[in-house]
Amino acid sequence: MIQFRDVNKWYGHFCVLADINAQVRKGEVVVVCGPSGSGKSTLIRTVNRLEEIRSGEVLFDGQNVHAKMTGAQLNHLRSRIGFVFQSFNLFPHLSALDNIVLSPWRVNGLSRAEARERAMRLLERVGLGDRAHSYPAQLSGGQQQRVAIARALAMEPPVMLFDEPTSALDPEMVGEVLAVMRGLVNDGMTMMCVTHEMSFAREVADRIWFMDAGRILETATPADFFGSPQHPRAQRFLAELRSR
Amino acid sequence: MIASAIGIVRDNWLLLLIGQYPNGPLGGIAATLILSVLGIVLAFPFSVVVALARLSRRWVLWAPATVLVYVVRGVPMLMIIFWVYFMFPLLLGASVPGFETMLCTLVLYEGAFLSEVVRAGIEALPAGQMDAARALGHSYPRAMWFVILPQALYNMLPAMLSQWVGTIKDTTLGYVINVPELTFAANQINNRLLTKPFEVFLILAIIYYVVCFSLTHAATVLERRIAKKRAGPVVLAPALAAAQ
Repeated sequence: MIQFRDVNKWYGHFCVLADINAQVRKGEVVVVCGPSGSGKSTLIRTVNRLEEIRSGEVLFDGQNVHAKMTGAQLNHLRSRIGFVFQSFNLFPHLSALDNIVLSPWRVNGLSRAEARERAMRLLERVGLGDRAHSYPAQLSGGQQQRVAIARALAMEPPVMLFDEPTSALDPEMVGEVLAVMRGLVNDGMTMMCVTHEMSFAREVADRIWFMDAGRILETATPADFFGSPQHPRAQRFLAELRSR
Repeated sequence: MIASAIGIVRDNWLLLLIGQYPNGPLGGIAATLILSVLGIVLAFPFSVVVALARLSRRWVLWAPATVLVYVVRGVPMLMIIFWVYFMFPLLLGASVPGFETMLCTLVLYEGAFLSEVVRAGIEALPAGQMDAARALGHSYPRAMWFVILPQALYNMLPAMLSQWVGTIKDTTLGYVINVPELTFAANQINNRLLTKPFEVFLILAIIYYVVCFSLTHAATVLERRIAKKRAGPVVLAPALAAAQ
């Protein structure tokens, strides 16, 4: 479903992504982990081209995301990739409901009534049916992130990308967001998720990609990765996590 | 002196209020307010266009917009009044009345300044807002229209009120091309009385002060209200004060 082929990216002389070769299969849940600054977020942002790359290919459903294409083609492609940000990025001037309604209505061409109906269904699904008319500023961080997930789901994407969805949250709110994500996993959603929630990774991931310094150093099943990590850097990373 | 000032107001209040209307063109406070309101209302869409051009990556858009802003910022308004006053009849082949000349000048001048406020308002929004809109598949113009501008312009309301105050003061310059606004009316009174310039211009100053102070005060109240509404986990556009 998502395939990285020899992806390289540089900021000036600094290499952010180096020779990335990996793929996320349909229905698979991939968790990307690694220390800060290892290129995880940059990698996930190349999938919908929020970040450009220097060389290589990122294929989504067989289509090269970074090929030359018109604005309309890129917008269509992006509308099929659900993306959830670390800082939620809800539109603060719109209610929770309107945040969700806007894109199916204006991008997918649903009628406003249809979009509202879909939005209400999704709000119920993330447990916020009663907060439809609240503005983002009136919601807690966890609630905002759940609305953001519903907003991405409203486009009915075949794949969901999560860029550290719980890192900006107070500890007691992490659980409610992970619960929603767990629900998606159970529904068979293809997911690529950058996260520091290792217990979540162990529980739901099919594969774990461990990154450092712009490279994927290890890909393994959670059992292998947490049980017997192969790469010394991964061993050190896990040891540090456990000592905390 | 106060008694004589009151006497002047009593004898000339209609002239100060509406000029020689209906026997001549509308003037006085009415003309000043109409000129400034029209000026700011027409300058506003112009300023949004200039701001978007300034933010564009295409040089054919940003270069002329940038030149316009820099020229206007570096030239006294009186120069622009003269340019418009002498150039327009040459270009159009017909004489342009003072009121319209002044209106064009105000739109050009205030629009250029306002565009910098608009630009600052847009740039002050978190980059994640544009990212989120694009990730959902919105095109750049739609993201601007539905997501960025509503927030930026709302945040700019106090700055726009301040700009209106500035515009009211700038209308006084219309005097040099015989626009029958408030200063023009006061000067007519002064020319007739000859011996009471201090009283006449004191009255003029008080009128301007009352109008401008009320608007400045309204801007402050509005600013506080917006700050209150914004209070919450989402913080927007903190750099607006700098833009003013």
